[in-house]
Amino acid sequence: MKELQEAARKLLSEGTVSVVLGYEMGPRGVRAAFITRPEDVGKLIFNTSCVQNLTTYLNPRRAQITQLGRPAVVVKGCDARSLAGLIREKQIERDKVVVLGVRCGGVLEDPESASELTAETVSVRCTGCKVREPHLADQLFGELPAEPPVNHRREEQIAALEKMTAVERREYWNNQLERCIRCHACREACPMCFCVKCTAEKTQPQWIDAAATLESNRAWQTMRVLHQAGRCVDCLECERACPEHIPLGLLVRYVAGRVEERFHYEAVDDPTVPAPFGMYRPDDEEEFIR
Amino acid sequence: MTRKFITQQELALLVGNLLAAHTRVIAPVRDEEDPRQVDYKPIESFSQAVFGAAIPRRSMKEFFLPITEVLLSYKLTHEGVKITEVPTQAPPQVIFGALPCDAAGLKTVDKVMNWDYRDELWFGRREASTIVTFLCSVMDHTCFCTAVGLGPEDSKGSDAMLIPYEGGYIAQLVTERGEKLFEGVGTAATEIMISASEDTGKAARAKVEPNLPAIPGELSEWLKQNFNHPVWKTIALRCHGCSACAALCPTCHCFDITDEHTSAEAGTRRRNWDSCQTSTFTVHASGHNPRASQSERFRQRIQHKFSVYPSRFGEMLCTGCGRCSRVCPGGMDLPTIVGELVSLAKSESEVSGQ
Repeated sequence: MKELQEAARKLLSEGTVSVVLGYEMGPRGVRAAFITRPEDVGKLIFNTSCVQNLTTYLNPRRAQITQLGRPAVVVKGCDARSLAGLIREKQIERDKVVVLGVRCGGVLEDPESASELTAETVSVRCTGCKVREPHLADQLFGELPAEPPVNHRREEQIAALEKMTAVERREYWNNQLERCIRCHACREACPMCFCVKCTAEKTQPQWIDAAATLESNRAWQTMRVLHQAGRCVDCLECERACPEHIPLGLLVRYVAGRVEERFHYEAVDDPTVPAPFGMYRPDDEEEFIR
Repeated sequence: MTRKFITQQELALLVGNLLAAHTRVIAPVRDEEDPRQVDYKPIESFSQAVFGAAIPRRSMKEFFLPITEVLLSYKLTHEGVKITEVPTQAPPQVIFGALPCDAAGLKTVDKVMNWDYRDELWFGRREASTIVTFLCSVMDHTCFCTAVGLGPEDSKGSDAMLIPYEGGYIAQLVTERGEKLFEGVGTAATEIMISASEDTGKAARAKVEPNLPAIPGELSEWLKQNFNHPVWKTIALRCHGCSACAALCPTCHCFDITDEHTSAEAGTRRRNWDSCQTSTFTVHASGHNPRASQSERFRQRIQHKFSVYPSRFGEMLCTGCGRCSRVCPGGMDLPTIVGELVSLAKSESEVSGQ
């Protein structure tokens, strides 16, 4: 990734940006890097362990990052979709961020593992990737790699859930959600969870109990996933952040599937394309309003 | 301290007898979905317990400070508000196969729980519990218990500690409660056994020690003097403020109290785990937040663990278990960060000393 490092050096030394958000090797695998000095660009890497969606760090309310100044950010094609989401939802302005796109042939599930990219180790979200080349990029790096290995584990899980009766499905989710400790790590790691005040913390009225009981855990995840409909970009940061290993990716993916089906929309990397949450179409299916 | 030799069968029998007497027994249990993971859970038979398999995901603090618990219930009546407090006595429980660092963490938290206010619910459970640790054999490169004055063979907080020895264990009976649990079980340990168990302890220490040198006392003072040091501006850039670290930490003990209605006339007052890593922890009713960004929140975490708590209670609020680093989705690594702060403190004291 010599070209990426050189581009970062140029941006920093010419003063175009004050910080380059990229990937580096940390004590426990790949992690986010915040490069502010041209002499540190050698730390920047890009490989199949670069799992994280760095656009989470562009949330305008992350004051410790905004104080660094104008950013450049390294994005994979999938991450470019949440960048587009942030622009579409007026959280950041396109011309206030330099986008360094990396061509990607899939990433691992776990940034701490250094395994080879295989059908077993690849992240489930990479299967059928349509955005190996980020369209939003100001500069593009790397050769276009082969398509990621195929892993249908998640589709199979969703199909199995759909086959269940409502009672069985409820039982499955109860077993998962009773583990939730309501740390809200899923929300904090999510690039699209940027509300100033989350429904989970509203007390006038209190929509969701703060206590980690099965009922309130269910209400919390239902609320979160519904607010993600057509907005979630499937980066799976929520699932990766969950200390209880709750398969949150199944929930968001399921809802994304329904949005595709009903509104013929999937979260795209073009900020000018409106998302279902923010628009009205006379031909929207509304048979549920009677 | 009494030392006994206990065979695997005797241990199984002891646990079986406890279960038969309906005593709650908690032990590390393998996760059915992901067998690489273990969690502390109540067991129904000895065979469920797995000792020395992995570091349990959560510490065992939830058996003393539950994730959520009712403090009292209230009901509006014609005579006024009727309040029913929950009992503070807890039924007996025995924890088998606890990690030494997790047991030490409870002992550390005891101090704040009996400081300006005595937390009867905490002590009700503490007094009803017997903790049997196993000498740690599951350490990895993120562990740093020896750097915070503990160790894989340290019996702080243990009522008894078991050290593997040919076909069984050497049981070190640390407290009266430990003596009582193993009353009539096993035989006196021989000198050879005792010396072998000490060697096992030394070997275990040697596995952790290279991870991080002992944290010097000066760190606490340096932190106190450097609340506004520029290092805080950049130390936590990659931290999401998700608080998963605090949830898994054996010593993080903050909670929030909320009233929750169960009907129009009645409800419960609960306490729920909370964490200084979230933005809502310090936000005022006015909307002002004195810890406005994650820089201040992470500084709080470090200051509390390595300066405030040591100044007030004479020990660090950290057992070096490494769970915070393992769970962190942002790749924050506490031993590295502490190591860097120690180097910074040392280099600055050298400069000022010249």
